[in-house]
Amino acid sequence: MRPVAIIGTGQTQHARCRDDLSQPELVREACLAALHDADVPPSDVDAVLISNMELFEGRAMPELWVGEAAFAARKPCMKVATGGTSGTSGCIAGFHQVASGLFDVVLVVGFEKHSEGHTQTGMALTDPFWDRAVASGALGNFALSVSQYMAERGVTEQHAAEVAVKARRNASNNPHAHLQMPDLTTDAVLSSRMLAHPLRLLDMCPQSDGACAIVIACETEARRRCARPAWVKAAVTRHDQPYLGDLGNRLAEMRTLREAARVAYEKAGIQQPLRDLDVAEIYEPVTYAELAWYEALGFCTDGDAGRLIEEGVTTMQGELPVNPSGGVLSTNPVGASGVIRVAEAALQIHGRGGERQVDGVRTALATGYGVYAWADAIILGEALQ
Amino acid sequence: MTERLTVPLTMDLSWQYASGAAMERFCNGLQARRIEALRCGGCGRRYLPPRPMCGDCRLRLTQWVPVGDEGRLEAWTIVHLPILDGRTGETRPSPYGMGLIRLDGADTTLNHFLVESEPARLRIGLRVKAVWRKELLGAMDDILHFEVLP
Amino acid sequence: MSAAQHKRPRIGVAGLGETGPVAADPRSIPEMVLHAVEAALDDAKLSFDAVDAVVTASVDLFDGLTASNVAVTEVVGAVMKPETRIAADGQCAFAHAACQIWAGAYKTVLVVAHGKPSMVPHQALTAWAMDPIHVQPLGVDFLVCAGLVAQALAGRDADAVSRWARTAAARRCAAMRRGVAGACTSDEVLASPAVATPLTEQMCAPLADAACAVVLRRLDEGDETDTRVLIQGVGHDLDVHSLGDRDLTSWNGLGRAYERACAQADVSTPSAFGVFEPACLYPHEEDLFTDAIGLDAAHLRESGNHNAALFSPEGGLFAGATPVAAGLSRVIASVRRLREDPQLERALAHGTWGPAGQGQAVSILEATT
Repeated sequence: MRPVAIIGTGQTQHARCRDDLSQPELVREACLAALHDADVPPSDVDAVLISNMELFEGRAMPELWVGEAAFAARKPCMKVATGGTSGTSGCIAGFHQVASGLFDVVLVVGFEKHSEGHTQTGMALTDPFWDRAVASGALGNFALSVSQYMAERGVTEQHAAEVAVKARRNASNNPHAHLQMPDLTTDAVLSSRMLAHPLRLLDMCPQSDGACAIVIACETEARRRCARPAWVKAAVTRHDQPYLGDLGNRLAEMRTLREAARVAYEKAGIQQPLRDLDVAEIYEPVTYAELAWYEALGFCTDGDAGRLIEEGVTTMQGELPVNPSGGVLSTNPVGASGVIRVAEAALQIHGRGGERQVDGVRTALATGYGVYAWADAIILGEALQ
Repeated sequence: MTERLTVPLTMDLSWQYASGAAMERFCNGLQARRIEALRCGGCGRRYLPPRPMCGDCRLRLTQWVPVGDEGRLEAWTIVHLPILDGRTGETRPSPYGMGLIRLDGADTTLNHFLVESEPARLRIGLRVKAVWRKELLGAMDDILHFEVLP
Repeated sequence: MSAAQHKRPRIGVAGLGETGPVAADPRSIPEMVLHAVEAALDDAKLSFDAVDAVVTASVDLFDGLTASNVAVTEVVGAVMKPETRIAADGQCAFAHAACQIWAGAYKTVLVVAHGKPSMVPHQALTAWAMDPIHVQPLGVDFLVCAGLVAQALAGRDADAVSRWARTAAARRCAAMRRGVAGACTSDEVLASPAVATPLTEQMCAPLADAACAVVLRRLDEGDETDTRVLIQGVGHDLDVHSLGDRDLTSWNGLGRAYERACAQADVSTPSAFGVFEPACLYPHEEDLFTDAIGLDAAHLRESGNHNAALFSPEGGLFAGATPVAAGLSRVIASVRRLREDPQLERALAHGTWGPAGQGQAVSILEATT
């Protein structure tokens, strides 16, 4: 793929309910922030991509209504939607559209306003013949997969609680984050309400209202406009079979993420992830998933994720900080969550992480996760070579 | 502070879904308490639900194989959130058990309710058996739930 | 927007496949899509393994399914492959797939679009795409918007409605061979029940179920291929949403999309095209289409000039209009026509989505010798 870079990012104040804004205004808030960060006037945006799981808000073709707010009016604009990977998928689509040579500058914005719909209903429209009557939604599905994962790899509720604590404490350094809990303890996590065994309230991601946008530029424009572009070194997508029961021990195997990461690492010259990556923003819908992703992403061998979190390897002070932003566990507007991963990885390279900045970031990983086992892996670097 | 203005909209939509030939045969089988899977001629994987194609081999599925209504519990959870029983319109009592069950003769698992809701009595590897409703309509919830075999 | 300086690789339309429009397909969506995909791969003489990536087009609310592309992942061969889902007209998926190849990301991309309006009353769904604060509560849907546009056009042209009736009759007649609705006379069109005045029932392209698939393949030196049709340009546009902010008597968005595509294809006049395949749901939209691209209807073959360009030679969407898939069906119709008629050099395929043609997309296809 021809060289492209992220030259700016922006996001809203994410919250349980942003009833101070309409959906278009939510989109506008993130787009303005991203364009400001990139120092790009709206008129210089050649095309726009929008990511959103509109069924959660009970809508169809939401770009028709919110496009103008994304500065897409009278411009090429398309909408992408792939469950949780909507955001990363939208970013990758943006990379492809810029790399095609058709557009020099593309704005990608992901958003979700869960408070303005009924997400549970929106998520319940699964296969009407197979599992609509006999499933219990994302929560039940994760809990099932977690039970298999724990049995296979030996992670404990304590390990998961440490992930929860890391996430919400990190979020306290992130002015945009929805859930900030600087004093959260593993005891508090382990005594929070049981939702679906073994998942407790504080093991779960929230539902947030929020939007996040990135500005992508071709090589010429990136060099001209940005002092330190975040170059796209790899962007890999893998989808999988459609039913939960097809996926074996889903979290333990996660063949899509393993393969996407393997291919991305090869393209980006990453040989030892812990050493060669400086920061990672990974899409962790539940605490246990983050542990599973450590293994799938090669941060450790299978069965060693518990040790990684125990030893603080992925904390802000560790060898590879994972989710300085607080991750999906702290902020989850579904259509935006993938864009947030990419934006947070990019801003680490830009050096604009404020209190959540990791020192000396040259290479960053962002991942997306969606539906049962869809995966995106994106690697950004401070230099093209 | 003024009250926030909201515009309430209610969606009331019904879709008519076609089952597809494979699912149609499967559902008709349920009415006779018969469960069948489709076996891939390439990898040999026996798929539930039955579907047009094996995604790994990219081959059409044509070989039907019988599947028992008993199997191995591959995953389990106890859910504490309320859920509506789509058949009766009543709320299922919670907490309730859910499991992924690998029926004898299939290679994929199916998601279904467990009659057991005590975590101490559930573990991966237990043998479970379907409990069927009296009235069979040819739908997945003709199976009321799975019970743990002693 | 600036056109790229680099030379873009050539992309061939290597394979076509479709179910064809039917009023109510008894099959499931995966079955319909598999039919189209197998036909396209067969036509391209390629196997699933040759496909690097898939771009699908579907809309969750239309399919009544969360993340609706989950239903087609297996049958489009996307298991352990990259799949991108565009939730707009299939022309956008087509354009995006071309971008992926021009970007150097993939060599062979399968594009798939489907729609099954027989599942659920389609017009009712379109209300959920309208501004929910100011517009939707008034009961406005896409059909209502079409009526407003038609009324605006009829208001300044006394002959418009009877001309539209003749066009609708002509399109229905041309669509007889593979269409879902029967022919009728222009009198019968005018006499049919009003749906959104001045539009009558028979003036509306009939909805139909369909799945379409196209294989795009980068043509490298030394590639053995009999692919004759190449993509020369793509363009798309999203206009503002509020009808009150737009000139309802013009499809300015189409004008912009068309210019973008023409700039890539180095085309400067509509006379460069031998066939036009617009995705017009109503005859008045054909007026908007021809105006937007500067096409003089008098220069079309149906006006009597035997050497002039073809315009919806098979009745366009009057053979069956499938939401989401319509634009891709126009690409397929264009490519078939270019393959079959060596006299034709270039086709313009069109897609549109949203109220009053808010979203527009075109692609320019060229036959090589």
